[in-house]
Amino acid sequence: MWIDAVVETRKIFGGETSLEKLIFYVLAFVTLLVFFTGLIRRIKKYRSGRKLTGWNFRGGKAKGIEEVTEPPSHVRSLVDVATNKTIARRKPSVGMAHLLMFWGFIGLFLATTILSLDYDVYGNITRIFFGKERSFFKGWFYLTYNFIFNMAGVAALLGAALLYMRRIFSKEKELDYERAYKPEGGYKRVKMALGDHVFVGGLLLIIVTGFLIQGLRIDGSNFPSFEKWTFVGYLIGETWKAVGVSPALAREIHPTLWWIHVLMALAFVAYIPFSKALHILSSPANLALRNPATTRVLPPSPPDHIGYRELRDFTEKDLVGLDACTKCGRCHGVCPARTVGAPLSPRDLILDLRQWVDRSTKNPMILDWEERPDGSGPHNTEGRLAGDVIWERTLWSCTTCMACVEICPVGIEHVPLIVQLRRSLVDEGVMDPTLQSALQNIASQGNSFGKSARMRARWVKSLDFPVPDARKEHVEYLWFLGDFASFDERLVEISRTFAKVLNAAGISFGILYEAERNAGNDVRRAGEEGLFEMLVEENMKAFSSASFDKIITTDPHSFNTLRNEYPAFGLSAPVMHYSELLAQLLYQGDKVSLSKLTKQVTYHDPCYLGRYNRIFDAPRAVISGLGCDLVEMPRHRDNSFCCGAGGGRIWMDDSFLNERPSENRMREAASLGVDYFVVACPKDYAMFSDAVKTTGNEGKIAVVDIVELFYEAMMADQLVAVSGSSLSSEAFESQEGQ
Amino acid sequence: MKIVVGMRQLADLVEELEVADSGVDIDRDFVKFVSNEWDEAALEEALLIKEQVGGEVVVVALDEPDVDQTLYSAIAKGADRAVKIVGVEEGWTPTRLRAQLLAKYLESEGDWDAFFTGVQAADDLDGQLAGLIGASLGVAHAAVVSKAEPEGPALRITQELGGGTLAESVAEGKVVLGVQAGRQAPRYAPITRIRQAMSSTTIESFEAPEVELGPGPKVRKLYPPESKGQATMLEGDPVEVAEKIVEIIRTKGLVR
Ligand code: SF4
Ligand code: SF4
Repeated sequence: MWIDAVVETRKIFGGETSLEKLIFYVLAFVTLLVFFTGLIRRIKKYRSGRKLTGWNFRGGKAKGIEEVTEPPSHVRSLVDVATNKTIARRKPSVGMAHLLMFWGFIGLFLATTILSLDYDVYGNITRIFFGKERSFFKGWFYLTYNFIFNMAGVAALLGAALLYMRRIFSKEKELDYERAYKPEGGYKRVKMALGDHVFVGGLLLIIVTGFLIQGLRIDGSNFPSFEKWTFVGYLIGETWKAVGVSPALAREIHPTLWWIHVLMALAFVAYIPFSKALHILSSPANLALRNPATTRVLPPSPPDHIGYRELRDFTEKDLVGLDACTKCGRCHGVCPARTVGAPLSPRDLILDLRQWVDRSTKNPMILDWEERPDGSGPHNTEGRLAGDVIWERTLWSCTTCMACVEICPVGIEHVPLIVQLRRSLVDEGVMDPTLQSALQNIASQGNSFGKSARMRARWVKSLDFPVPDARKEHVEYLWFLGDFASFDERLVEISRTFAKVLNAAGISFGILYEAERNAGNDVRRAGEEGLFEMLVEENMKAFSSASFDKIITTDPHSFNTLRNEYPAFGLSAPVMHYSELLAQLLYQGDKVSLSKLTKQVTYHDPCYLGRYNRIFDAPRAVISGLGCDLVEMPRHRDNSFCCGAGGGRIWMDDSFLNERPSENRMREAASLGVDYFVVACPKDYAMFSDAVKTTGNEGKIAVVDIVELFYEAMMADQLVAVSGSSLSSEAFESQEGQ
Repeated sequence: MKIVVGMRQLADLVEELEVADSGVDIDRDFVKFVSNEWDEAALEEALLIKEQVGGEVVVVALDEPDVDQTLYSAIAKGADRAVKIVGVEEGWTPTRLRAQLLAKYLESEGDWDAFFTGVQAADDLDGQLAGLIGASLGVAHAAVVSKAEPEGPALRITQELGGGTLAESVAEGKVVLGVQAGRQAPRYAPITRIRQAMSSTTIESFEAPEVELGPGPKVRKLYPPESKGQATMLEGDPVEVAEKIVEIIRTKGLVR
């Protein structure tokens, strides 16, 4: 008989013969063997990765500034994983579907584990010690178990079905496996897509067959009323009955379907370490290992050479990260390089590296492969890593905007990998000629413009007040200008404006004059680590010759490296961005009086200010505090779209792109119908002023620096005062007299 | 093939040059010195040849300001040895003296196959250096070389003659070349490699011998070009500027 009518329970095995049971156990054993062998090989691969030692990226940070380089606590990671928070970000419906599937499967996994605990462990133990097999799989436990895990099944089914539908029907570019860089010899990603279908489709089949056999079992046992707790199974049982499956027939079909279900489930478990399903394990692991410092404070080269060249250069974290990628394509979607037609997609980069590592370690996936008829790219385990496996152009296309790192739901850090690969290119001297001359200029003159260091502070000459030399007198704020704000003809005017604001507000500030050097943020990100270190030494020498309390800069790039990277070289002074100081002036004290501006503006978050350093609010507070009406672009705050200048891209050729990132951004802004495009970064000002022209938006929208707005509000007030004075009233009268 | 590359340091032209008190030289105290760009092209060509057929590249320079930087970066790029000719009087070295000193050094070095140097320099716009060395050593010489490729033990040389005409010749035996451009732009010397070169290489010294220069021209006066027909910039606010303009128009007698 099927059930013991007195107690609410069921047989664990649905009437299979002992031979069948034996086969099942043998298969289960083989499955676990395959699973663990695969997993251990993977783990061994990770363990073979380089261990990071002595990487001192922490230093003195100013109090009150949000910590941007602190790794998340384990609790935080656990919560992120448990809530699927990173998946729901910017795509809540996908996140919800994944959450259903995630918890649904955890439920089903628990269900199987409990069953096995009862039957295989508890049952056997009681048989050995008490001579009679016991089971807790009965009564109220049985009913609750069925109810809860039926719910888990429904959640898993629903989640998997939704995700599968998305996989099949969605036209999002994120799910399109077309490469950004199309290799000459062609490529095929059929197996990659197939891998997704097998993964999600397989899970769906497992759940569906599970429910079907549950229905058959209930049908076959003549619908005992307590099985109503197994509500899905009961319903399906009734459906079986309705389509004419009698209890007897149900009992007959049951074993076949049961075997199908079990074989699929076992096959799936064995398949995990060799497929996309691995992300069930690798992604949470990577989320726990992620470290926001890695992108903000670039790690050093491997100890024995410059940059990444071979397998053993990859750290454990790098290797886990490569395996954690789910091909979700979110990085691909946001990447400015990919968007404008550059041969770089962070997703492709990760997948190529993963495939190359798997080839090199002879640890391949079953599906989830990209094929290359000519054996190039990731199949080429002999060639140079940077150059043959990953194309140079691909590596040079990155603006280091960090949009990929920001959105990757599994915490992969693409930028440090790209920089490590660039380092090996720079070491071989392989780079754009324009980048080369910029680096040479920086090496010899200390600035990318190739101008004499003595010209650095020439912009102060036309001010009608002296700008103190912080090397000669003590100042509160040491203003670090950066190259663009010092040398670019258009930008020195903004530097003067900021100087006027500081002067009018009575703030003690000074500069380093010819002793300042390029801060090295982008030099480092272009992969020229030696030059970066040289610049740090020179700037640190200049800092130590000066007397100041805090550093302030208008340049988010300098800001990032001074704030996050210089502490490792001994800088302990707090570093501020000018937008923060402007916000302070606006909201604290009465150092300046400002009139209200009434302008319709939008604001562009610079990558190195926003994503890198989480300063989103200060510039917004200034803009709205000045009375402007801030209209946000669709892509704002942490989803801001790079201007295309970062990571040394500003020194490289961009003529091969379909459009410049700045143009793409300007079109976005122009569609808002606002009058001003506010920036808080000298490079942004330069990039977007050009973009206004090249996109034909001249006269429609104007680029304005945040300090220009501030100054206007300050001067509007002054003009009132001036027009009240005798001089201007005279002028006014004489005009009237004419 | 053993190639010696002669390099020289020049005042960085991005700096504002000033005439020294002596009136016959630029003020060398406050300018930065950089290597001559044509010499860099010569070095690149020598390194390319070494990469093709092997051999040795030796860089040699007079002890001029910041010359170590240039020599180390040549090592970082792939040169094997660096030599500094020391004991030369400070200040500007006339090209004829430079040529004599380099010729002496080349005689002492003996077994070299080719000597490359830049076709010209900011202080040698006539491009005399290579010619003078070739003459004083009695060795074949070619100027305005845009390509030098190994051909067996010889070098196939492409020269740019005027009007876009190219001339090709094959140099067997010792040769002195004034290089105009290399087959490719000079490579980048990563700072890390330069620093490695600094710690792992010693620059050899060659004591400058006494040389007879004989009669020759001498700089009597150095001065910035005198500009004719200067523009005057009027400074001040619009009212002041307007007043000055009116004043000028009046003094020129254009209006009364
Ligand atoms: S940092 Fe920006 S440009 Fe670079 S790969 Fe990531 S998204 Fe693309
Ligand atoms: S790297 Fe991250 S964001 Fe990009 S496809 Fe992989 S999992 Fe998605």
